[in-house]
Amino acid sequence: MGRRMKRVRLWTGPTVAILALATGAGRADAQPSGGRHVRASLVAEADSVEAGRPLIVGFRLEMEPGWHTYWRNPGDSGLPTRVAWELPDGFSAGELQWPRPIRFLTGPLVSYGYEHEVLHPVEISVPASIGASEVRLAARLSWLECREACLPGKADLALTLPVRARAGSGPAAPLFAEARRRMPRVDPEWTLSATAREGVVDLVVLPPRGTRLSEAYFYPIPRRVVDYSRAQTLAAEEQGYRIALARDPNGVAAVERLLGVLVARTGAGEKAVEVDVPVKSKTSARAAGDPTEGTEEGKP
Amino acid sequence: MNARVSFVVGVVAAVAVAPALVSARAVVGQPAPPFTLADTHGKSHRLADFAGKRVVLEWWNHECPFVNKHYGGGSMQKLQKEWTGKGVVWLTISSSAPGEQGHVDAARADALMKEKGAAPTAVLLDPDGTVGRAYGARTTPHMFVVDAKGTLVYAGGIDDKPSTDQADLATATNYVQAALEDLAVGRTVAVPTSEPYGCAVKYAD
Repeated sequence: MGRRMKRVRLWTGPTVAILALATGAGRADAQPSGGRHVRASLVAEADSVEAGRPLIVGFRLEMEPGWHTYWRNPGDSGLPTRVAWELPDGFSAGELQWPRPIRFLTGPLVSYGYEHEVLHPVEISVPASIGASEVRLAARLSWLECREACLPGKADLALTLPVRARAGSGPAAPLFAEARRRMPRVDPEWTLSATAREGVVDLVVLPPRGTRLSEAYFYPIPRRVVDYSRAQTLAAEEQGYRIALARDPNGVAAVERLLGVLVARTGAGEKAVEVDVPVKSKTSARAAGDPTEGTEEGKP
Repeated sequence: MNARVSFVVGVVAAVAVAPALVSARAVVGQPAPPFTLADTHGKSHRLADFAGKRVVLEWWNHECPFVNKHYGGGSMQKLQKEWTGKGVVWLTISSSAPGEQGHVDAARADALMKEKGAAPTAVLLDPDGTVGRAYGARTTPHMFVVDAKGTLVYAGGIDDKPSTDQADLATATNYVQAALEDLAVGRTVAVPTSEPYGCAVKYAD
């Protein structure tokens, strides 16, 4: 099998240290389990549950080399990881959270996901009073694991934590610190806007003064907006930068908001910024033309 | 010269990723891209040969769990039988490159179709991916419907339940069924596009 899957990160900075530690606080009712090439576990940031205080848990996926799982928008192919919870009365779970992804290229196709290891945090709402001495959180996690081939993965996971007046940090806390470091953030110092022209949406990025971008990639959250297989071009403007995003020709007719994650390489390292901006029509756009025209502004 | 202009950052690398799928893409509402491909009996088929008929194109990889959801559950075969029985041309296409998952020679393709009780009009072999790229076929399955005038009227997923779970077939809305029903009574296809889901088509690099 000659497939060469290429993985594209913006930069291959220091490899993230895989944190070797015990499964976490509390008791994992089931051993880590999952598909054939990905191991799943449920861990908590704290060592116990405190009434009335949100609890942060996370799904940890550890992948064999060459295997990957998918981001919330998987791109050209694949499926996002999903969870179905079984929680005690009074508890409720927030959405899965998604650290910034990388790209996987297979032939002309581009998909978005994770390799080696990822932690998807989830915030659990905890009732103001708990009538038990321990709490059991259970969930069925399902995902698609792919290398050249894809296999569905599934795991029934559970975590039992003691109830205490004051929760402390658990042994899995460093995993959450790492996941937080990789989580895209709203950053008011980055000014973002978007304009639409024929077949293209331009994301205009004004980073903080003095910040230069050497690479950038926009990961769209909604599907059917961007044509994943078309290259994104990053052009320096008089002020800031413009990333031309080719629209999916069979996608949604109109894009009113551009929603996604901008991952940019700056002098200070890699930056992941949440993007949620209205898309202005091309009448207010500065330029029109071929999506590749932007490279004319700065000859290599 | 404006000092500000000279301040413009010289170069920013274009984030070139993959060679794009061919830009002359299959776009719903426009003529379906023409093609010529050989079937598993060596017979050559041109899309133009089917002018006046409705044509379904199904991208296929027998080793893909998404494809196997639809063949294992019998829903793909049922759809093929129902609509070829009503005069629709159903072309199952393999764009898996040699050495890649799902690559089949003619005999293997026929044997697999027989084993599954499948009933396409023909299985077309596209090992260099030319037709797959022309259509922008991303996944297996990825479905396209062409009307009798040669216009592409549907491009997207087989249904609205992106999963590998056969249990989802019972509650899924099959978009190809819906498009063909619309065409059968002369209606505009109500859902002309959707998100395709499945395994990546295993193109040659």
